[in-house]
Amino acid sequence: MSIFVDGNTTIVLQGATGSEGSFWAQHMIEMGARVVAAVTPGKEGQKLHGVPVFHSVRRAHAQHAAKAAMLFVPPRFARDAVLEALDAGIPRVVTIADGIPLHDQIQIRAAARAEGAQVVGGNTSGVISPGKSMVGMFPYWIERVYRPGSIGVMTRSGSLTNEVTAWVVDAGFGVSTLVGVGGDLVPGSRFAEFLPAFETDPETQAVVIVGELGGTMEEEVAEAIRDGVFTKPVVAFLGGRTAPSGKRMGHAGAIATGSSGTVAGKVKELEGAGALVADRPCRVGELLARVVQ
Amino acid sequence: MRLLEYQGKAVFKEAGIMVPAARVVRASENQALRDEACAAARELMSAAGIGRQAEQDPTGSSGGETAWFAPGVMVKAQVTSGGRGKAGLIVRAESPEDAGQAAVAIVEREPSVRVILLEQMVDSACELYLSISTDAGSARHLILASAVGGVEIETLAEQNPTAIQRVSVDPFMGLQPYQTRGLGYDLGFSGELVKRFAQVTSSLYQVFRANDTELAEINPLFVTQDGSLIAGDSKLIIDDNSLNRQPQFEVTREQYGTDTEYEAALEGIPYVQFDGDISLMCAGAGLTTTVYDLVQFEGGTVANYLEFGGPNYRKARRAMELCLKNRSSVILIVTFGTIARADVMAEGIVGAIAELKPDRPIVTCIRGTNEEAATETLADAGIEPLLDTEEAVRRAVAIAKGEQV
Repeated sequence: MSIFVDGNTTIVLQGATGSEGSFWAQHMIEMGARVVAAVTPGKEGQKLHGVPVFHSVRRAHAQHAAKAAMLFVPPRFARDAVLEALDAGIPRVVTIADGIPLHDQIQIRAAARAEGAQVVGGNTSGVISPGKSMVGMFPYWIERVYRPGSIGVMTRSGSLTNEVTAWVVDAGFGVSTLVGVGGDLVPGSRFAEFLPAFETDPETQAVVIVGELGGTMEEEVAEAIRDGVFTKPVVAFLGGRTAPSGKRMGHAGAIATGSSGTVAGKVKELEGAGALVADRPCRVGELLARVVQ
Repeated sequence: MRLLEYQGKAVFKEAGIMVPAARVVRASENQALRDEACAAARELMSAAGIGRQAEQDPTGSSGGETAWFAPGVMVKAQVTSGGRGKAGLIVRAESPEDAGQAAVAIVEREPSVRVILLEQMVDSACELYLSISTDAGSARHLILASAVGGVEIETLAEQNPTAIQRVSVDPFMGLQPYQTRGLGYDLGFSGELVKRFAQVTSSLYQVFRANDTELAEINPLFVTQDGSLIAGDSKLIIDDNSLNRQPQFEVTREQYGTDTEYEAALEGIPYVQFDGDISLMCAGAGLTTTVYDLVQFEGGTVANYLEFGGPNYRKARRAMELCLKNRSSVILIVTFGTIARADVMAEGIVGAIAELKPDRPIVTCIRGTNEEAATETLADAGIEPLLDTEEAVRRAVAIAKGEQV
């Protein structure tokens, strides 16, 4: 097992007939993703990597029921494409677009909540269960990062995840499912919303959180641990310990103002709830080894 | 993009929110600045009528420039950093001559100030706080208001949390009249003030939506003796991801503290200026932030934060050029990219070095998609390809400290 996506999850692709989308769609299929249909308005009747293309998600879904949608749609069209997937009844949607307007993102998350659906992203590489399936764009062939195993990983950041996960693998572990929630101010899904699935996944022994300054997602994880929603070990690394207050560091969501959103505050909450927090990426592996056999 | 106060107030005025009458002067040579500020202040003070309460705005709260005035003008540096009052960048002037003097003093205190706003002083009975932002968890718009204005909301939240009222707005339905009305009553207002406050809140909500803002804040929001509401300051942050559908907001030099920050913004490269020894030229926001931490842990200092990942991963030459504008002693390049391919970045870096001939050492740690090719490209060009982030950071810190490496 794994969470969010495995080899049985049927997937519809949106906007995958462009060169970048087509490239990663091919990799998804090679890695084991069960892609059943693709959607590009105006291209119904064509095939993409052997998969039928439809004008709309509704038309695709009617003939090839999908459990997840993967969007290779540019930022300015992301809202429309996500709403289309939700309206067709797709319960899991991944949008990787980097640069979705904030007010579109707010409506994306609001719509997902109203539908009881889960939208991951934007500004993410997506979700991967190494060796099983991927709804996203990960260089799964880099074995020192994407080795299959029993550690769930959740992250706000792409490159940093590679850095941290390489240390997880270096310590002898592997990844059950890696979820990139994305670095934007209002991501479609938040860390704590994946914890119930990781809790019940027999293949996940522990979860690594790759967080950073800004927002409250790390605090929400601490709350879930305290409330007993999540009982497996949690190890975290958080970037931005020394970031100056009031300066935006890269991600839209990465800003601390006053005492809110600081890494110090997040570490206090997480450690208070019983999680282990590494001060450097290279220490994540050894902390995991303390809590996982 | 954070707008300057006067730019935000122009948006307010357009939306029907009252702002004090004002003039903008640009920093120049001292005498010219003094004369210009003095003339602007004289104009404002004669319009207001020095020493007496002026006429009421005949159009009521229609967004006209006139309001109740106090004698004098406010002289305000237009910079995006907070705490202007404490830093001596907002000065109250009693006469046009004082205003001219104050403008010069501000620029002497903070030479990066390019624009100064002179405003009629408002005679307020009290000051309110009003802002609209987003609650990421509930995916709703969040209105915060307080009858205790003029202090930063973070400070108020710590010291007097019960003084803050909250209203949560459905992003599809938008702000409803019962919500603005209720907010007014909950703040302890009555009668006409409830109506006027509702009007301002509704106008600010329009500003928030129509301009794709991340934050729309009025603090302080003055209440005058006659119950008019006038924006004493503006804080508008336009969502960077929405700038191409909000073409009225142009990136201008005056919004940035340094030329390099401005050039990076024009290029769309995330860049933050510091004054240490090590230029960070990394890819991935989270990784760059982490490298910043590691440099501090190792006792080094950062000259600039620069991130050339994501859509910028082919811009190595431009990124290096920006780093070279700093007085850093070493450039530290750390990447671990996925879509931002390692081989492409390595080639870009080698090309940039050949073209720019940097006068300082460069430490590289390039991993990710096609990293074998990247390692080869760097080695062929005579650059040592490190593969461990911490080793690269220690190397850069050692170079910055002048140690033999």
